[in-house]
Amino acid sequence: MDTIDCRNMACPAPVISVKKALENLGEIRVLLDDGAPRENVARFAGNRGFTVLEEQSDNGWALTITAGTGANIKSTPASNSGDVVFLITSDRLGDGPDELGRLLMKNFIHSLLDAGDLPSRMIFINSGVKLTTEGSDLLEALGKLAGTGVEIKSCGLCLDYFGIKDKLLSGSTTNMLTTVETLLSNERVIRL
Amino acid sequence: MENRTMIQEGHLLAVFNSPHRVMKAEDVLKGLDLQVLLIPAPRDLSTDCGLALRFSDEDNDNIMLALVREKLLPAFVCRRVKGGRYEIVWNNDDNIH
Repeated sequence: MDTIDCRNMACPAPVISVKKALENLGEIRVLLDDGAPRENVARFAGNRGFTVLEEQSDNGWALTITAGTGANIKSTPASNSGDVVFLITSDRLGDGPDELGRLLMKNFIHSLLDAGDLPSRMIFINSGVKLTTEGSDLLEALGKLAGTGVEIKSCGLCLDYFGIKDKLLSGSTTNMLTTVETLLSNERVIRL
Repeated sequence: MENRTMIQEGHLLAVFNSPHRVMKAEDVLKGLDLQVLLIPAPRDLSTDCGLALRFSDEDNDNIMLALVREKLLPAFVCRRVKGGRYEIVWNNDDNIH
């Protein structure tokens, strides 16, 4: 089995490297840094039907990825084509005073709980990741949304940029490749 | 749907009639380390701005004292009771400040 070294790579390079390797080799062993790279690669492979065996090593993690039943590297993450995805690009809603924008965003997400239909996934990017991290007033509401099955995803690169990667309290991290695939595979994307 | 609501039985809601007042009240109370959460007011309590501060009984006295001191009293305060109903526990119209 071939081994590829994805340590010291910035997001989303590890996922892209693993995707290419699996397309050519079918199964691989990949060396990764702990945290978002390990989580993103494991989720990426798992979503596509691969079996992932994780082992901690001295300098990070070694993931052995083998093809399980129904594995398909070209398939996109599970979601229904008719599902609605919210792409939340800021911690504020709309253009105008910051204070009003933050109020409107809080009001919007709290109001979502009372709506009949919910999105299948909410992806938080740029300053939107401040809504899913420590200190956010929306953690309780996002927890309730997650409890109903809404996937809460925050951009790992953005969390890193703001220095709040270890403050994520709602949902999990995602990378740009998965975000792009999600947006392309859903009929309705609502950008906030 | 019930488990999705932000307002549980026993919660108190201070409902305001101005976004500026509710935002200022939120800032003041959080500055005093009082636990409040700014949420949309339920439809059946709707006011012009439709916003409320949610809090618990244990903080009620300190919150009301702070709002009196800062001249930021809400339009009214109500409590969620059984059956998803709300009981008014304090009304600005009934008080002279």
